[in-house]
Amino acid sequence: MEKISFLRKHRGILILVAILVVVAIWRPLAAIYGVQRGSLYALIGLPLALTLGVVGIMNLAHGDLLSLGTYIVYLFAVNTGMDPLVSIIPVFFLLFILGVVIYKLTVTRVLKAGHLNQLLLTFGISMIVLELMKVIWTTRPRSVYVDYSSSSTTIAGVRFGTYELLYVVLAFAVLIALQLFLKKTRLGQATFAVGQNPRGAKIVGINTDFVYLFVFGLSVAILGIAAGVMVPRFAIFPSVGAAFTMKSFSLVAMAGLGNLTGILISGIVLGVGEAIVQSIPGYAGWSDIVFFGVLIAVIMIRSLRRQSL
Amino acid sequence: MKIIKPILLLIVLAAAVMLPLLTEAYFISVAITILTFMTLALSWDMMLRTGQLSFGTAGFFGLGGYAGIIAAADLGVDPITGIIIGGLVAGVVSLVLGMAILRLRGLYFAITTMALASVFMVIIRNLHKISGGPSGKVVLSTLFNYDSNKVYWFMLGVALITIVISEVFQRTRIHFAIDSIRADETVAKSHGVNIYKYLIFVFVVTSVIQGVVGATYALQYGFVFPESSFSAHYLLLPIAMALVGGIYSTIGSVIGAIILGLSSEYLKLIMPYGHLIIYGVIIVVVVLFLPNGVYGAIKDVLGFRKRRLEER
Repeated sequence: MEKISFLRKHRGILILVAILVVVAIWRPLAAIYGVQRGSLYALIGLPLALTLGVVGIMNLAHGDLLSLGTYIVYLFAVNTGMDPLVSIIPVFFLLFILGVVIYKLTVTRVLKAGHLNQLLLTFGISMIVLELMKVIWTTRPRSVYVDYSSSSTTIAGVRFGTYELLYVVLAFAVLIALQLFLKKTRLGQATFAVGQNPRGAKIVGINTDFVYLFVFGLSVAILGIAAGVMVPRFAIFPSVGAAFTMKSFSLVAMAGLGNLTGILISGIVLGVGEAIVQSIPGYAGWSDIVFFGVLIAVIMIRSLRRQSL
Repeated sequence: MKIIKPILLLIVLAAAVMLPLLTEAYFISVAITILTFMTLALSWDMMLRTGQLSFGTAGFFGLGGYAGIIAAADLGVDPITGIIIGGLVAGVVSLVLGMAILRLRGLYFAITTMALASVFMVIIRNLHKISGGPSGKVVLSTLFNYDSNKVYWFMLGVALITIVISEVFQRTRIHFAIDSIRADETVAKSHGVNIYKYLIFVFVVTSVIQGVVGATYALQYGFVFPESSFSAHYLLLPIAMALVGGIYSTIGSVIGAIILGLSSEYLKLIMPYGHLIIYGVIIVVVVLFLPNGVYGAIKDVLGFRKRRLEER
């Protein structure tokens, strides 16, 4: 079992490296932007994978909570002049509390209900958060200017933005931190156990309710990191995060439940795919379809394979 | 007792048909909106009865709208034919897609239908020559030339047909097949129910309804626009209506649509922005506290009282 997952991991990374090399020769800019954007997708997808894998709930409000995070970062920047990257720390804890509150008020009540009720519930929460943001901040886009966000560098004749490399760094950092948490800490091991078999975990004395609460809060909190790093480069408006819900789910569907490294790999693959489509003149508008196309294809292949077994 | 129900139904029906003669134009437009969303809510609920949660309502609504407008503008057909084409296009697309995605269950089906709606929108927005791209498309010959009374009667007809289809689904053997799929798929399968066939049938029928409603809605105003034709509005409101009224029943969606349709007009007056928050709250509250909807809750209370009386 250990060996198979080890090989699989390497196969994924090898394919990724091969794709990246080919793209880097063919369209160097698409490769760089693809990796940068793909890392951001992975950074946002990782917490969703955590809730889906451990708590077993598809949180349709994921992207809207990300938007809310960007607004909180914006408020910090406007009212206290705090640098968006520094405000990640307070926003992380604020969103953690928000996640805990949402969990305590609503999610905990539908844990035993069917998938349908869970989806409808988070769908309702997503609408509330989205419309609330529209009422409070209107749909007018806002932005926070920091001078380092537009820095760029030239390597081998290719000029590209350097700020976005931070996405890559943070995606790797969050992935490694999550892996360490799951393997090295007591709570992390409990989380891992609950993700594998909630009933078994309960029987051996793990407080599953607390694990769920913590994981849900943590997932929302990680969105604060993504929000903080996005604000210098993205315009802030209520539906800025909505598209990321589906994209994150695409990554989870592609990587498979419980495969956190796979999220980063799929994120980069899809990011590069999007960047390639965007680099073809006249077809930039079609790039949105890359994710959905892959999502539908992957889900179909998985379901067919399951049926043949 | 038995004769009261048909009489009551006839009175409601007569009132619904006579409505344009009794009230003014503003109320008629509200009634048209209510009928539009009622039909969408019913079609969503009909799919839900098979145990499959679809988030594709807005997708087929928009697709039907676009097909209708394109047929009327480029092929020069009259609006009624445009509506039929809208329904047919939604039906054909749902048949082809349904054969693939109806192998999925639960979460995966729901998310895929949600992705499909976005795919439709991206495709339509990028086919500039056919669909007019991001700026939308306009047609000059609208449905009944803005005669809202005729539009109302037409929409009432569509709604009534949908109600009849929904009731047929509830009363014939299709109902047993559908209910057994929802209750336990494996058992249904082992009793010889061809699940796949029934799922595709229901999916296509509901998509045709959504396409027809979408085309009617679009041709009534004579324009389509990517962001508004595929708006989450046409997904959210029907779901809220069916939930409020009570899912898994015809009467639930009808009652829910009337309650929410009337209250949303009122809400729009007192809070022009953000009245959608209320819908979100309604969905959350109903999922958490009233899983059977208003109609179901009333029935529960009445049933409880009746049982208590009998016990005495």
